[in-house]
Amino acid sequence: MQDVIRNNAHIIKNLTLCSETGTVHHTTDSFGNAFHWFRLGTPRHLTRAAGLLREAGARLCMTTAYNRRHLSEPMQEICYHFELAGVVYNLTVTLNGEWPVVPSITHLFANADWHEREMMELYGVNVTDHPNPRRLFLDEEFDEGILNQAVPLSIMMNGACTTDLWERVLKNREKLS
Amino acid sequence: MTAMNTGGSTFSMPLGPVHVALEEPVYFHLTVEGETIRKVDLTSGHVHRGMEAMASQRNLTKNTTLTERVCSLCSNSHSFTYCMAVENVLGLDIPQRARYLRVLAEEIKRVASHLFNTAIQAHLIGFKSLFMHIMEVREIMQDVKETVYGNRMNLAQNCIGGVKCDVTPELLVYILSAIDKMKPMLEEIRDIYATNSMVLGRTKGLGLLPQEDALRLGVVGPVARGSGLKMDVRKASPYAAYPELEFDVILHSGCCIHSRTTVRLDEIFESFRLIIQCCKRLPGGPTIASMRQIRSAEACARTEAPRGEVFYYIRTNGTDIPARLKWRVPSYMNWEALGVMMKDCKVADAALITNSIDPCVSCTER
Repeated sequence: MQDVIRNNAHIIKNLTLCSETGTVHHTTDSFGNAFHWFRLGTPRHLTRAAGLLREAGARLCMTTAYNRRHLSEPMQEICYHFELAGVVYNLTVTLNGEWPVVPSITHLFANADWHEREMMELYGVNVTDHPNPRRLFLDEEFDEGILNQAVPLSIMMNGACTTDLWERVLKNREKLS
Repeated sequence: MTAMNTGGSTFSMPLGPVHVALEEPVYFHLTVEGETIRKVDLTSGHVHRGMEAMASQRNLTKNTTLTERVCSLCSNSHSFTYCMAVENVLGLDIPQRARYLRVLAEEIKRVASHLFNTAIQAHLIGFKSLFMHIMEVREIMQDVKETVYGNRMNLAQNCIGGVKCDVTPELLVYILSAIDKMKPMLEEIRDIYATNSMVLGRTKGLGLLPQEDALRLGVVGPVARGSGLKMDVRKASPYAAYPELEFDVILHSGCCIHSRTTVRLDEIFESFRLIIQCCKRLPGGPTIASMRQIRSAEACARTEAPRGEVFYYIRTNGTDIPARLKWRVPSYMNWEALGVMMKDCKVADAALITNSIDPCVSCTER
């Protein structure tokens, strides 16, 4: 593990300065490939951290937006995955639960364009200063949140024998009243 | 097809959503000046299936089956990378024999995938006899898949902790004989692509993606390697049996359609080398390791699919249903490069250029 860190000490040190204290950790898979994990305290630090990776010549691999509802927390998080010389750097940003906003990094990584547009339309994350904030997959004419109104076919078909559909109806009634 | 005057000397021309190069829907808005493309805009989303939402409603085992259905030609790469992500999150070490068997299935799929793309290119050029010939040669690999794994497309070979299907010594001999049969045929095909004036006239020097644009857009796979970018996950962060096997990363710096096709054709021979090594050096022992307790953790994994890097991220919450499973397919990174490639090309070349990134719409939209 120490070898893994030593190879990239400079960039790890700088990214650690952007992260919350005590949140940085390092893992390897069973083939010895390294993964570094950083947690940024606020989305404001993202531009600086991404800038450091850009200067080092890293490549953006993917971004993952997710709700922490499964972990019983209302917050949303975004994990940015970068690759540099075969090593993966993951930057996790915790968003404000009420009003999730994150700065765009498309000016640093051109390929962030699609990822950020997807987060906007499918995860309701607001990306500021995006150069091309059009819809990616959904048509512009669809209202926001339209997919939340759809009832999955499996729930509809099992509506007679499970409680899922009925619970949904009750929840919607509460919302409307 | 209707064209709309947008003022001045340029026209806006819709292309698609059906029948651009593949039987998958994507919609291009081309801004053309006479016959020449000046700007490309694309609209996708016709086959968005909500697979990531489905993945967080299924348990880890069921998701192996789901992820294999993200893409057809790269199906094996998806279950492979998904299983690696789960193994990373559980801290599972897979048996040596399973590592080799995973590489074997992956490389067999790569040969069939690259041949399919090359065949479609011949079809788009209008070289029907070459198209039929390549499809016929590819059929040998399809037979191998069916004989060894029981299926022509979704092999269902990967499972969490190893592989499902063990390969007997008789089947290994059969795989080697199929490769012996294919090799001279492919050498002939490679020769046709290198010398035939009709193929060269339609592909050489067209659909240019300069190296700096390839780097800027973060393209992956044969698209990157056809623009001289050395990028191959199998070498950069070796996984499964790749660290123990000998193969070369194929690079061509022509930056054109022909360069990308040559990368694919040369890679088929590297895949043959890998398959032969796997068959000859396959170690004994078990093919699967048992699953461990599921903790709350996160992990990622990446592999080199036929179209380039596949990236998976998983987050578990102590239950057997993942809190989040996210993946990024290689085509997702390559679409934007079409804007650079098609600029200043003829409208007639749009389909060939699109095919040269070996696009997959279904997996892009999931």
